[in-house]
Amino acid sequence: MTRQYEAVYVFDSTLEDAAINEKLGRFHSLLGTPGDLHVNHWGRRQLAYPIGRRESGYYVVARFGAETTTLPEYERAIKLDDGIIRHLITLFEHEVGAPPMTEEELAIAARRREAEEDDDEE
Amino acid sequence: MRRPQKTCPFCETRIRFIDYKDDRMLGRFITDHGKILPSRLSGVCARHQRQLSTAIKRARYLAIIPYIRGMQA
Repeated sequence: MTRQYEAVYVFDSTLEDAAINEKLGRFHSLLGTPGDLHVNHWGRRQLAYPIGRRESGYYVVARFGAETTTLPEYERAIKLDDGIIRHLITLFEHEVGAPPMTEEELAIAARRREAEEDDDEE
Repeated sequence: MRRPQKTCPFCETRIRFIDYKDDRMLGRFITDHGKILPSRLSGVCARHQRQLSTAIKRARYLAIIPYIRGMQA
């Protein structure tokens, strides 16, 4: 079964850009032939808190469709890689083409909110 | 006494799913110390507050927003 995923990698900022691209290529090749692969390089940015001795990281966001069976192998490769400080793989099924909330849904939300307000009124 | 009703900022802008990568937006919903702002203060609806707390926790792990802030010894 194919599912849509989104992965965020935080690379060590001391790595060369070529090395990062090479690693990304290696990881993504483990996914078989990922359908509609989108890679977005955020580049180097300051970490919100130091991780070890590192103060900055190279952020890459990748979005892809992959077979569920290929994922463990892929994640194992990421975990074993020393150049990656942090990574996060999330399901990206909700956001895909989700239209903005309709009037109807908003009305339901508003009604719920009102009911809630009434509940905790003293 | 009835509190003045606040509307959920996410519902207002018609956001269906909250993005954990948007640090500017998440920054509005954490306190000066980095805690998650309670919905009673921000007016976020229950559904979006649940999404928001997950998003903040993911962003913290990725060092996009800090776990704690302004507490340096």
